[in-house]
Amino acid sequence: MLTFAILIPLLASLVLAFVPLGEVASRWTATGAAALSLVALVIVWAGGGDGFRAVAEVPWIPTLGIAWRVGVDGMSLALALMSALIFVAATAWPLKLHDARAYYAWMAFLAGVSIGLFVTLDLIVFYVFFDLSLVGMYFLIGRWGHGDAQHAALKFFVYTLAGSLLILIGIIVLALNMPTLTFDMRAMIDSPPLAAAGMVPGLVFLAFVIGFGIKTPVFPVHTWLPPAHVNAPGPASAILAGVLLKMGTYGLIRIPLQMMPDTFARWALPLAIVGVISILWGSIVAFAQDNLKRRIAYTSVNHMGYTVLGIAVAGSALGSETARQLAMTGAVVEMIAHGLITGALFLIAGAVWQRTGDYHLPNFGGLAGPAPRLTGAATLAAFASLGLPGLAGFVAELHIFLGAFGVYPWLAAIGLLGILITAALFLRMLRQMFFGDLPKERAGFTDLDRTETALLAGVLILVVLIGIWPTWLLSLIDAASLIPTPGAGG
Amino acid sequence: MIWALAYVPVLAGLAIWAIGGTRARLATLGAGAAAATLGLALFSGDRTGRFVWSELLVLQAALPPLAHAAALLVPAILLPITLYAASHEDGRGLPRLIGLMLVFTGGMELVIVAADLVTLLIGWEIVGACSWALIGHKWRSQAPGLSASFAFVLTRAGDLGLFIALMATVTATGSASYGALGTLDGWPLSLAAYGLLLAAVSKAGQVPFAPWLFRAMDGPTSVSALLHSATMVAAGAYILARLHPQLSAAPGFGPAAMVIGLATAILGGVVALRQTHAKKLLAGSTSAQMGLMIATIGAGYPGVAVLHLIVHAASKGALFCAAGVAHRVTDTFDLRRMGLARALPVTTALTVIAALSLAAVPPLSGGWSKEEVVKALEHAGPIWAAAIIVAGGLSAAYATRFAIAAFGPGEDRDSTVKRGELAGLALLSGAVLALSALWWPPVHDVVAARIGADLPEGSRLGLLASLAAVAFGILAGLRAARSDTEAPAMEWLGLPALYEHGLIRPFHALAIMAARADDRVIDLIPRGAATVAIFLADGLSRADDDTLDGLAPGAAGAAMSTGGQIWRGAVGTAVRATSGLAALGAGLGERLSDLIPNGSGRIAGMAGADLRRLQTGLAHHYYSILVAGFALAVGLLIFGG
Repeated sequence: MLTFAILIPLLASLVLAFVPLGEVASRWTATGAAALSLVALVIVWAGGGDGFRAVAEVPWIPTLGIAWRVGVDGMSLALALMSALIFVAATAWPLKLHDARAYYAWMAFLAGVSIGLFVTLDLIVFYVFFDLSLVGMYFLIGRWGHGDAQHAALKFFVYTLAGSLLILIGIIVLALNMPTLTFDMRAMIDSPPLAAAGMVPGLVFLAFVIGFGIKTPVFPVHTWLPPAHVNAPGPASAILAGVLLKMGTYGLIRIPLQMMPDTFARWALPLAIVGVISILWGSIVAFAQDNLKRRIAYTSVNHMGYTVLGIAVAGSALGSETARQLAMTGAVVEMIAHGLITGALFLIAGAVWQRTGDYHLPNFGGLAGPAPRLTGAATLAAFASLGLPGLAGFVAELHIFLGAFGVYPWLAAIGLLGILITAALFLRMLRQMFFGDLPKERAGFTDLDRTETALLAGVLILVVLIGIWPTWLLSLIDAASLIPTPGAGG
Repeated sequence: MIWALAYVPVLAGLAIWAIGGTRARLATLGAGAAAATLGLALFSGDRTGRFVWSELLVLQAALPPLAHAAALLVPAILLPITLYAASHEDGRGLPRLIGLMLVFTGGMELVIVAADLVTLLIGWEIVGACSWALIGHKWRSQAPGLSASFAFVLTRAGDLGLFIALMATVTATGSASYGALGTLDGWPLSLAAYGLLLAAVSKAGQVPFAPWLFRAMDGPTSVSALLHSATMVAAGAYILARLHPQLSAAPGFGPAAMVIGLATAILGGVVALRQTHAKKLLAGSTSAQMGLMIATIGAGYPGVAVLHLIVHAASKGALFCAAGVAHRVTDTFDLRRMGLARALPVTTALTVIAALSLAAVPPLSGGWSKEEVVKALEHAGPIWAAAIIVAGGLSAAYATRFAIAAFGPGEDRDSTVKRGELAGLALLSGAVLALSALWWPPVHDVVAARIGADLPEGSRLGLLASLAAVAFGILAGLRAARSDTEAPAMEWLGLPALYEHGLIRPFHALAIMAARADDRVIDLIPRGAATVAIFLADGLSRADDDTLDGLAPGAAGAAMSTGGQIWRGAVGTAVRATSGLAALGAGLGERLSDLIPNGSGRIAGMAGADLRRLQTGLAHHYYSILVAGFALAVGLLIFGG
């Protein structure tokens, strides 16, 4: 079933590449493929179960222990579901395009490899999908972006590729240190291969942190993110922020935390500090941005900082088990929440670009008059992003801070300032966009059309649902099972 | 059932916003929803609720007597204000206004029924967000939007205290319930107590957070009438009263609350007395009155504080409504240009009742609750008592000044008061009168027993001093109303200016600096890596050209004799690595020292030429990173293998 979820979009991408379909047909082919993936994942979800489920394995290169292995636990299933949903919304998002068929082919390709990354259980396949996602996004930004798109796309590609090479090295070292050579994630989680002390585990850990840190991104390796977002088309930005950034934090949990828990615990504090710096730096820098998309982009650094803080706390092996569990819950919920919320925000930014060709906030104002639906969606998404209770972001941040306080109280207290600054910057953004006088050049600004409204509503309803009644998501994620028992590793 | 108290008004509010309609329909629907909430509150007493929110956090609700009183108060105040708003406010956006006031009420009820800190935090911040939307209701003008953001951010700064309290409680006990809060001791208790105090004083508009309340006056008058009398600010005083049993054991908690409360009561009184803007006078007064309540809680009488809260809510709601009427008639909030006694006699009479109650004149209800407050602080000590008597005199002064300036003698204008406005005002002033029954011992004993309040005993001297201060205050207020005072040069004693110059502007500057640093310094990491990589690549290619080519003839023979392709490959790799390292060593220092002037040059003037230079040959730059990455890869493999 999980293999289907990967192959359907990839097949759709092949079809789109070779069959001369029209623009509308292409759009529906790609959207339909993403929707079918979503359905396949929902079926897996409905099947229930604990630990890794829906597992399938086909040998590929047995001598090297590489195989096509798929299977999901709560975290990866939740992330895959969220990704599929964002892909449906982003692909169906109405857009005026040149070479539409190619665009939708890349979209479908990206959907396949992104879902694949979350559901595979083989590290080599994981790595391949990790790099293929860069390729897909590179073309989406470079070909259909605006402004200095090629430069931004290249910077994004090379920066994250450099990181992914470090990840590859780490993966190889891990595999070589297994009793029998294998790239099976389950085996490595069950018996972590490297000892805690020594130079090698430290370096491997560093390689993973830098590699995944670039993708996440955390301070100070985040500077590829703003140009990539600013120049990407809205839906591609939504995917970049909603899906691709999660690959970094997902990898951070799956590999260093679960496969080398003792080393992780040794280095948890520096990682937590990096998380807190990202929280503050991302929000402060976001506050100063006059470009709508840059502002949202920097809040991603802030939010991924919360996630990294939560992950670091969860893997610290300090404090009470409850605290670590809270932090892990928060970190995974933050990934889902950020995916939905920031996905929605970038779709909104895309809608603004479609209508005005402008992101410069001081050029806006008074849009609440002509565009009440856009205003409502943006307000809801902005409040969700600043962590208002009753919406998804709060669930995540509350859990992260509760957990972090039990382990690193000072870091939690400092990190709290982030939620104050994000409040200031989002309210400022709302005021600049929607309140005050409507500038002359914005006359005739049209509200969201029916498709756009429906897609945003679909995403935002989930944000509200998670915010009010998070239990269903939390029991799916089952954070307790993600945290390795300290000292279990060799 | 108990949760319905929170979600019924929210859903009703959203529905009314969606449906819309004429003023009459909005008044009916809004008042109906308020009445339904009131009914729910009546029948929710002593109930509890649990909602499994996450595996580790359970939301809990309960309505002990003290909370029940507050839960009844909120919809009871909302109802007249809805009637008032439906006839008074601008027709444009009215459904949104009425709807959001109901949503807000739902959040406030959640604060009241909360029996654990997570539920409290949820309600607390929803209230804050609704107040943002309500203050910014007139979004077409600039000022309300700015003020709404200011109010939200400043109160959220206080909310961080609630986060701290919650984190300390959960870390220490594993639970967030009020029961767990009561079991704390040591530093977790102090953190929790002072965190909650911070959250409460920011919400209640105490010093130094008071300026947000002034800015909030940019919202519609009905919003002020609801938020700044019985709700929102009252949430701060309420939560301290509700959690007093759990928090009072923290060292220094009582005195801290009394200092903040009395300081605000006196400073707020001075601010109100000097104001010439009708609503800002009332805003200053609200801060001051909340200060009285917080001081009373600090003195150990949370029940008395809640009684004063109830009494104050009715009179302050009425006065805000009156200020709104005066504004509609005169088109200004300037107290010096009103004087509506002859134009609006009925409104004047209703206003005077509320104003005298705020001035604490017997036999009105405000007089009773304020004397209880004085008695409570007498128990804390003579200095506290003296401070509260001064604060009482100030409230008498500004209340008198408001009533006389706004509704004193003046020209006869051709103006009428709308039916809805009058209904709202009459209901609120009627409540002030009805509550005056509290003077009668059988009534106040029953009420106090019902909500579990301890009524303090006071001395005759205290009573006399307090009444004398009130009388003196009224005289001073009369004088102030007649003299043509100038508007104060600095609002709220200069606190807003302090925020502007001490916090907001420096933060803006910091953010802009950080953004520049992000573009120009942090981004040097990839650029620096690219530079090094290019260099490395150049070195390697040079090594390839010079060394290996030169080596080849000699090596060819050796390779031939051993016949080892592998050997040759190994030599090649070794040679490449060595020469690469050598080149790196030779050039790195030079490159690094180049980077510093280059970097600072970029910071100095990120000119277009520089950018263009960077962008030409980009592919070359970036692909070289690959080489660097791979070199690192090989190195690590050697380690790891």
